[in-house]
Amino acid sequence: MSLGKVNLVKKSKKSHRVARPNQTGFSSPATHYTEPRIDLNSELISNPSATFYVRVSDDSFSEYTIFKNDVLIIDKSLMPKHNQLALVTKEGAFQIERIGVADTKETFQLWGVITYIIKSTL
Amino acid sequence: MIALVDCNSFYASCEQVFRPDLQGKPVVVLSNNDGCIIAANKEAKALTHIPMFEPVFKIKEVLKANNVTCFSSNYTLYADMSQRVMDTLREFSPLVEEYSIDESFVDLSHYPSSQLENIAHQIKERIHKHTGIPVGVGTAKTKSLSKMANKFAKKYAENNGVLVIDSNQKRTAMLAKAKVKDIWGIGKKHKARVENTGAKSALDFTKLPLAWVRKEMTVVGERLWRELNDMPCHEMVSVVEPKKGIGTAKSFGYKLDDYGLIEEATSSYIAEVTDLLRQQQSAARYLEVFLQTNHHSNIDKQHYQKIVITLEIPTNSTAKLTKEALKGLKKIYKPGYRYKKVGVNLIGLVPDTDIQTNLFYKEEKIESPKLTKVIDELNSKYGKNKVKLATVGNREKQWALITEHRSNRFTTQWDELLTIGS
Repeated sequence: MSLGKVNLVKKSKKSHRVARPNQTGFSSPATHYTEPRIDLNSELISNPSATFYVRVSDDSFSEYTIFKNDVLIIDKSLMPKHNQLALVTKEGAFQIERIGVADTKETFQLWGVITYIIKSTL
Repeated sequence: MIALVDCNSFYASCEQVFRPDLQGKPVVVLSNNDGCIIAANKEAKALTHIPMFEPVFKIKEVLKANNVTCFSSNYTLYADMSQRVMDTLREFSPLVEEYSIDESFVDLSHYPSSQLENIAHQIKERIHKHTGIPVGVGTAKTKSLSKMANKFAKKYAENNGVLVIDSNQKRTAMLAKAKVKDIWGIGKKHKARVENTGAKSALDFTKLPLAWVRKEMTVVGERLWRELNDMPCHEMVSVVEPKKGIGTAKSFGYKLDDYGLIEEATSSYIAEVTDLLRQQQSAARYLEVFLQTNHHSNIDKQHYQKIVITLEIPTNSTAKLTKEALKGLKKIYKPGYRYKKVGVNLIGLVPDTDIQTNLFYKEEKIESPKLTKVIDELNSKYGKNKVKLATVGNREKQWALITEHRSNRFTTQWDELLTIGS
């Protein structure tokens, strides 16, 4: 089978090029040291198509230091490891579970692994 | 080899990802304005005593009595979930053809045939794990065969949602089981013609002489015959051709006789279609506007009229097209009717790079591409429709769709996230 026209690879908007000097007087001594600014999307999210955000509506998960209005970043592509936090469902309801710690006999279905908790301090 | 990956009752599945309480329960999704059912999950389809094709208002009570959960269509959510599925498929192959919102062809020719069964299962499992959407996978040498394999993968429980046709023996076994009507793309007329020869199964069809097929069913039938005989005719398509016409028409949530409101709806539809027009870098030569009353109603007086406006030079300016559309609307609007639907179509599309200007044409200020560009940039930065023409209006959209049971846009709106708590 011929490949025909292949989709172009999407380029990221990040520029890794050396910045062109734009000082009108002395050119910047930093010219060869510039780097793109930190982007939280690329730092915190390794698999965008499997990542979901979930907001916490009250303090019922305080035992995990997760409180009202926190936003959880959840990666469904991961397999949870021992002691990691996961969003699970029990009897059709969402719950948070620390994997492999409590010796609960309750069964639950994994929904996704919690990778980060975003809290506002304002 | 090509895999056809198809999401199981896609719209309902999208809703269920965020509603674990509905696992194993009947779910249906309604059309725009909640008029009728457009999608049902397995559990809802099993309720065969409910006439699912009837208008929703007629069967509302039965749905309720059977604990069927109804959702208004949430295309924002479905589009994003679809993108997630497609992106996950691209982890398996560089060549993915998005055939529809819930179906893709995936080129697997880079895998050794001994691995295909394994890969097909991996596709199914990974999509389900990463996105929550269940899919079926049919794999074969041609698109027509993989389409059929996909159907079989779902239809027969022993296949467990995956069927790989990687030998002649498997191919003939599947074709023998399939009826002529199960062949993808065979119409009523051709079905009758084929069955008149005494052919019953798809396998019988593949054994008809090619000369007969070509004569009776044209090149379309010939391609089908070849594809089912393991000879690929339909290549993978990876570049979408620009559309030749773009239009939209939606029924109002309520019947309207207020000209101002109809104007607002028209302006808003023009904004939608011109945005698509510019995205594909085209300009329109003609603009069609139509207005109609509810022809299902037997209490309302009926009126339907359309107008086609020829633009002096092709344009993709929202302001110019809105101006022309409203002029057209004025001509076709007759007071005293209760209208149900207005629609706009942009036709005669040309690439915006080769617009032939007219020596005597004086561009109006509002048409300036610079202005359009600034508005587009502002809207892409600050959100859809943040900057719009005043004709779109700012009051409550009385003409907007009724979406009484729409779920949240969980994946695209920060203030509509899934929430958890007790």
